[in-house]
Amino acid sequence: MEEKVPRSNIIETEIPLGTVHPAALEPYRVRLFVEDEIVQEAEITIGVNHRGIERIMEGLPVEKANSLTEKICGICSNSHIWNSCRTAEMGLGIEIPERALYIRVIMGELERLHSHFLYLAHGCETVAHETFSMRVFYLREIVMELLAMIGGNRVQYGCSVLGGVRPRCDLDEAKLQRLKEDMDKLEAGLTDFAQRFMADSILISRVTGVGALPAKQAIRLAVTGPSLRATGVARDLRTTMFEYDDFDFNVITQPDGDVKSNLLMRALESFESIKIIRQAIANIPEGKVVNRDWEMFDTDINESYIEVPRGTLYHSYALESGRVRHCIIRTPSMANIGAMQYACIGDHVTDAQLCIVQCDPCFTCTDRAIEIIRR
Amino acid sequence: MGIKSFSRARAIHIMLVYTGGCNGCDIEIVNTVLSPRFDAEQYKVFLTWNPREADVLVVTGPVTHLNRKPLEAIYEAIPDPKLVVAAGSCALMGGVYKNIHGDIPSEEIEGPVENIIPVAAKVPGCAVRPQDVLAGVVSLLPTLLDAD
Repeated sequence: MEEKVPRSNIIETEIPLGTVHPAALEPYRVRLFVEDEIVQEAEITIGVNHRGIERIMEGLPVEKANSLTEKICGICSNSHIWNSCRTAEMGLGIEIPERALYIRVIMGELERLHSHFLYLAHGCETVAHETFSMRVFYLREIVMELLAMIGGNRVQYGCSVLGGVRPRCDLDEAKLQRLKEDMDKLEAGLTDFAQRFMADSILISRVTGVGALPAKQAIRLAVTGPSLRATGVARDLRTTMFEYDDFDFNVITQPDGDVKSNLLMRALESFESIKIIRQAIANIPEGKVVNRDWEMFDTDINESYIEVPRGTLYHSYALESGRVRHCIIRTPSMANIGAMQYACIGDHVTDAQLCIVQCDPCFTCTDRAIEIIRR
Repeated sequence: MGIKSFSRARAIHIMLVYTGGCNGCDIEIVNTVLSPRFDAEQYKVFLTWNPREADVLVVTGPVTHLNRKPLEAIYEAIPDPKLVVAAGSCALMGGVYKNIHGDIPSEEIEGPVENIIPVAAKVPGCAVRPQDVLAGVVSLLPTLLDAD
């Protein structure tokens, strides 16, 4: 048997961060167990944001519940309303017009762009490189204005409705033209950013090897989305979604799973999104954007999975006389918490925040499936 | 204008506290102050994460149970004179999370922010527009500068 090291010989410190902390945008709590400034164990506790949105959704009419899912998250709001509508559409067998599917894909990819740009800006700010952060924020503003043009609001656009998209979100010639021009602007800006990023040897040496997550461990932790693809595993749910059948795009992977891989991964994936939007603009079919010709009936539990900027999003609910019953939502950050904890281990304590940020956390989405015990 | 107000007018510090909304307002406000498009720093308004440095506290989100105490602690830590801006419909009235049941408010939410700390300016919107946030903060400046 191994001889036990006396407890007093180990100099272990616990560093709690949170719940409101300068480096973290969202309230959550991290406990870092530190030995000689190296993190030995990390523990993330969520639950501060609990608003009980699934509870609120129970018993609401399905249209109202759909628009409520948008308020789960301010970053991937369109993904939530898209998947929620998709859940009901799959259950009720509603046929969606081709044009509506294309507009949904355009909105989804625009949202992926703005989410990835936010990630790049936040990541560059966490490594204290403000110039890059500002550059990406400026690029992001182009996307935000496009979203405001299509949906009428900068954050909550409410694009999808049951049977298609809102008529307000239909794209006429002028809007398509502007979309096309802005994609060129965006690609030029992003190329410039990626080249500068790769050429900046100081920044690259700062982020290489920090927070490495091996592919085996990532699969064991059931990590999803870009965080998984940055470890070298090519899994993207968009390849199986029928909405993306007409589009030609690559699944980007990066080898290492460290902060550098994650940052590059998002930048390269943004190019693919631009490619998809360009294909959608070129081939968008004519016709109506919403199919109102469907009937409501009671269904058993319907499920739907889609790929959102952060990974796989799961919605499920049953319908009973037009109302939502037994609602479950599972967001990608829930699966990625394990990756955040693992990435911190073995790194310097000052890099802990960077290791958490590299997995693109969104605890606002995640805080639902818990029960708060009040004392 | 005293020398205190003179110097304070050149460094207004905003602190952002996030109390459980949907992240939308939060990012828009950070975007307002930091990003080069809106760039509040050109009006000498800076973002800080240190309550002891802050002049204006911007609160977003309906206040959830677990966020009530941190919010009160942060408000206590800010030195006088201090003013609070409630930004977004959640901070103003609890938003969809509180009022969706009609007359019966949700039991998860402690908000609106007014119930917990005094609010000086209210910025409506879901999510707030950056221009409105700027206007809200700027409307507080005379009160802040005449405070002593």
